Amino acid sequence: MQARLEARGLTKYYAAISAIRNVNLALEPGTILGLLGPNGSGKSTTVSLLTGLREPSAGQILFDGRNIGDHLVEYKARVGYVPEDAHLYTFLSGREQLELIGRLRRLPDGLRTRKIAALLDLFGMTSAADQPISGYSKGMRQKILLVSALLHDPDVLILDEPESGLDLSASLVLRHLIPLLAARGKIVVYSSHVLDYVERLCAVVVVLHRGAVVAEGPVHQLRAMMQRQSSLEEIVAQLVTTVDPAGTAREIADVVRLQT
Amino acid sequence: MSTSASGDSRAFRVVTRLFLRRLIDNDLISPHADRHHSLAVLYALVVSLAVFATFFLSTGYLAAFIQLPGPAALSALADRFLYIAASMTVSALAALMVWDALALEPRDAAILGPLPIAARTLTRAKLAAAVVFGTILTVALNAVPGVLYPLFLTLNIRGTQGATIIRLIAAHAATVTMAGLFGFFGVLAVRGTLRWLAGERAFGRLASLVQSALVVAMITGLLLAPTVRASDVRRWVDGTRAPGSVAPVLWYLAINEMLAGHLVANTRVVLPPRLAFFPFPRRVDEDARTIYHGLTPRFAALAKQGWLSLPVVAGLAIATFFWTNRRFPDRAATALRPTRFYGVVRRAAERLTRGDPEAQAGFFFTLQTLTRSAPHRTIVAVSLAVGLTHAFIALTQTGVHRFESSSMPRAIPAMSVFLLISLLAGFWYAATVPAEPLANWTIRSAWLGNQQSYLSGVKRAGLIALAAVPLLLMLPLNVSLMGTAAAVEHSVVALLFATALLDALFVFVDRFPFACSYVPIQNPKVAWPASLAGVLTLTYGFAALECQALVALPRMVAFCAALSAIAFLVKAIDRDRRCEERPIEFDARPTPATQRLDLAAH
Repeated sequence: MQARLEARGLTKYYAAISAIRNVNLALEPGTILGLLGPNGSGKSTTVSLLTGLREPSAGQILFDGRNIGDHLVEYKARVGYVPEDAHLYTFLSGREQLELIGRLRRLPDGLRTRKIAALLDLFGMTSAADQPISGYSKGMRQKILLVSALLHDPDVLILDEPESGLDLSASLVLRHLIPLLAARGKIVVYSSHVLDYVERLCAVVVVLHRGAVVAEGPVHQLRAMMQRQSSLEEIVAQLVTTVDPAGTAREIADVVRLQT
Repeated sequence: MSTSASGDSRAFRVVTRLFLRRLIDNDLISPHADRHHSLAVLYALVVSLAVFATFFLSTGYLAAFIQLPGPAALSALADRFLYIAASMTVSALAALMVWDALALEPRDAAILGPLPIAARTLTRAKLAAAVVFGTILTVALNAVPGVLYPLFLTLNIRGTQGATIIRLIAAHAATVTMAGLFGFFGVLAVRGTLRWLAGERAFGRLASLVQSALVVAMITGLLLAPTVRASDVRRWVDGTRAPGSVAPVLWYLAINEMLAGHLVANTRVVLPPRLAFFPFPRRVDEDARTIYHGLTPRFAALAKQGWLSLPVVAGLAIATFFWTNRRFPDRAATALRPTRFYGVVRRAAERLTRGDPEAQAGFFFTLQTLTRSAPHRTIVAVSLAVGLTHAFIALTQTGVHRFESSSMPRAIPAMSVFLLISLLAGFWYAATVPAEPLANWTIRSAWLGNQQSYLSGVKRAGLIALAAVPLLLMLPLNVSLMGTAAAVEHSVVALLFATALLDALFVFVDRFPFACSYVPIQNPKVAWPASLAGVLTLTYGFAALECQALVALPRMVAFCAALSAIAFLVKAIDRDRRCEERPIEFDARPTPATQRLDLAAH
């Protein structure tokens, strides 16, 4: 049986440098996929290809069995995306930014206004909704990004470091929200460095290192593969860490102490 | 103690350099531009314009076989007026371009606040960076013409001594630099005073409006300066005409005349023996010298004000700067709480675009970008200033009185037409500039591919904000010039013209307004003069036709019908072009210079 969202042999080059090589994914409705890896491993490139914002150099992404490149607009209408960097139109207010997104996504007037007001309220943003985004903190911008991604009830939710900057209560809400959305049939791709979150939320993880998949599967399977009862953090560290963390930490502390 | 003082002064130097670099890199140019390339282009543009103006102004002096000192001293008044006005307005414009960076900003607080640097050091560094920036710009603008102009002026005045030329160059350099600093500090003083009087919150609301108004005023002034004749300057100086807003220019002109300008009028003509046969028009020369010397007492009075003005304005700018920047700015922003007026506009716009959310998105995003994004506001302000300059010149030529439809000068309807063309061309250009380059992913990921709907919203916003509103504001003036019936007819015709023009401007636009990356116009040295010639031809051609139509109602009806047909035709072409959805390149880059010049293979 074919998965609803599938990546086949995804490869992306920037000039002559390969960012990812031959990445394969298969996601069913209700799946929460954790995308893990160190900086520069290709997570953000994979995410940008999955959102349709970039085209792969080779390979393809299929949604409902159709190449998204041939039906990009239809596919984008089904995707909600929270990017890693919260770049927004800073001269707009939060509400205006959401109005812009909602209109571009062709949400009818009444529904759009109701959903924006309700979501802003639930994320605790009502009092700041009419202030320009230039005055927002990182967490407030992140909440606007989350509301933007959810506004049109997407089938695929792609979240790149969504917890970044969020306060404790918003983080807790997010931690409850994601399994709930998955239970309602959405595919969630969750890219993060916070392995604790990923371990709690994601049934399946893919570990990327230097642009290639070095491990994939359910967390318990990875544990079995590593033949030890370790945490996800230890598994990932074993797979992708090329430095001795304790040794590097000692060296940093020594450099900090230098006086002359 | 001394260690702390030296640490402070080192921190001051480092932070001043940082602020200065940021003024040039981020605020004047753009965060992602190549600094060296942009600065080189900017400097080349400024210097070449200044050199071109100098040669243009000096043609008469250079071409004269023998230049008479008296007439030269009088005609030089208009030239010096232009140099001083240009220096003052360009420096003021530079200050307006970096308006937000002329005070400590929230990002300064975020980046530099945690460092162990005294707050007063940061404030002093910010001011120092602003002053250095203003001074460098003024000197760069005036360096070449400051030397060339006095040389050209005196080249054919037989009997001019080397010392006189040096004094003329020094006086010219001093006065244009002082005028430039006056313009720069003037903007700083207006900003500081406004922030001091209005308070942080109200300043946040007023600042952009004041900035835009000043940009319009400065560019209008700059464009009108070349139209000032020597006789106008004489009348302003001798008091037969009130100088009004040109008074500051006259102060520095007077300083120039008191320092060295009079040397030209005092030069004794020494003809070489081989030119003894030359019929020297002594009377003309003496009359001109007498007129010039008659102005000297007024120059002395004006120069006193000039000497005083710079310290006063600079003092005010510095005092208000230190007072308003004594604390780091509060990040808490002003709420953009919708007003009742905004509610009315919103409802009207939603009614206009009912059932079409993408058109609404285009409509509101356009209005928000044009009013809140600094580069877009500046482009609109420049377009408005160009249109107003033309209107001012037209009114100066025709006079402000009632004209009959049968004898209407073309310049009268041409005022609104030129203003509309200027504003809509500015709007078209503004649409090619991204509102925020890094934020366009929001549009890219949310946009569902119907460019026509979004574009129709964009055009409707442009038509209302930059055609309907200006026409409404010009209606009282048009009524006083044309009479009520003709003014209303003219407004209807102009609106139809604007509709057709707007569609025509966007018919070949395949990029996403305000969201795609900026690609500069290829070959501007051909495009700009050709566009200007085209605009003037279109304006006066259209005005001539309208003058014919205004004579009789049937003609006017036929004219409106023809215009409507053209508008519908352009719309149909546009609809036809966009019937199939095409992918949009959001991140297009300009062609590298090596490819444009075909150098890649060499």
